Amino acid sequence: MQKDPQGGLAEVLDLILDKGLVIDAFVKVSLVGIEILTIDARIVVASVDTYLRFAEATNRLDLHAKGGKDLSEVVGGMTEGATEGGAKGKTKGMLDAGKEKWDEVRGERQNRREKA
Amino acid sequence: MTTTEDTKGSQETRRGSYIYGIVPAGVRIPDGLDPIPYGDQDGELGLVTEGRLAAVVSDVAADRALGTRRDLMAHEAVLNAIAQDTPVLPMRFGAVVTDDDAVAEELLAPHQDYFVRALEQLEGHLEFRLRGDYDQDAVLGRILEADPRIQQMREKIAGVDEDASYYDRIRLGEAISQAMDKLREEDAQACVDALAKFAVATEVKEVGGENGAVHLAFLVRTDHRSDFERAVDDLGDSWSGRVELRLIGPTAAFDFLPEFDAPDEAQA
Repeated sequence: MQKDPQGGLAEVLDLILDKGLVIDAFVKVSLVGIEILTIDARIVVASVDTYLRFAEATNRLDLHAKGGKDLSEVVGGMTEGATEGGAKGKTKGMLDAGKEKWDEVRGERQNRREKA
Repeated sequence: MTTTEDTKGSQETRRGSYIYGIVPAGVRIPDGLDPIPYGDQDGELGLVTEGRLAAVVSDVAADRALGTRRDLMAHEAVLNAIAQDTPVLPMRFGAVVTDDDAVAEELLAPHQDYFVRALEQLEGHLEFRLRGDYDQDAVLGRILEADPRIQQMREKIAGVDEDASYYDRIRLGEAISQAMDKLREEDAQACVDALAKFAVATEVKEVGGENGAVHLAFLVRTDHRSDFERAVDDLGDSWSGRVELRLIGPTAAFDFLPEFDAPDEAQA
């Protein structure tokens, strides 16, 4: 268990760019539309690259070293891919929602900039 | 167009009042905090008091973009330092108004009731965030052990040329990714089960990163803090080797601000 009073930049971004009172909701006249630098790549979108990395890591995994069972013993006659479709849709939906939220945040900032 | 600004500051740089957050009037803020830099020079923290409220501010040059690493960390560090012993309503990063009069007259005065009520609600509470990352080998081993279908997919790519097994690799990785999502849900629930009883509010948040396991925010009463932290330690011990937990905080209560209803535009 690590204790960390503040957290790193990633934690900070996550808090202060999405959270907190939005000045625009309170102040209209004297707002200074200052430019906020865009920070990219905050949300890691699961992608083919991620899948390939997982596959590689799994392929490398030494199950015996971890005290796991010998795979040849546990793999029985399985039917393949029965649950794939439904779960895939769900994952994609979640990722899209994340991206939309991010785009929204960026959109807000863009608007604020125009008010300057 | 802000023509008043243009005439006022034709030679010197335009300045603005950067607002970190709102505190009850009369509180002392900690010494030695580094504010957001003005431009090239260091800024200085100040308080603008109006009635029962004060805003924590510093000057910033209005012609520079905000958002360097130092800016972001300063915003957060100032608020968190204050939050250690004073309720504070954090502003979202980048709140700048023309001057301190605007802070008092446009921000604090017209919304006094809402801010006072919100600060009263936060009094005696602290926010903590719990983040955890999976030990990748441990979690992959667990997923493999639990799912014969994934074991079979792994067998299929073993020893096969990378190009030839490309689509099988993607399928395997996707199945693992889905299994991890399910694990995340279970682990978030386990955190809620273990810790929510020590908090007045709990929020399960989106996990970032490929190996991200859990991400939750808790609003904890000051007098329950040690119980909460002990429970987090216990959870960390029981997940040792599988999930690396980090407890961040106490921070300003970014995640538990009372809803703000559109202001009564009585003066409009």
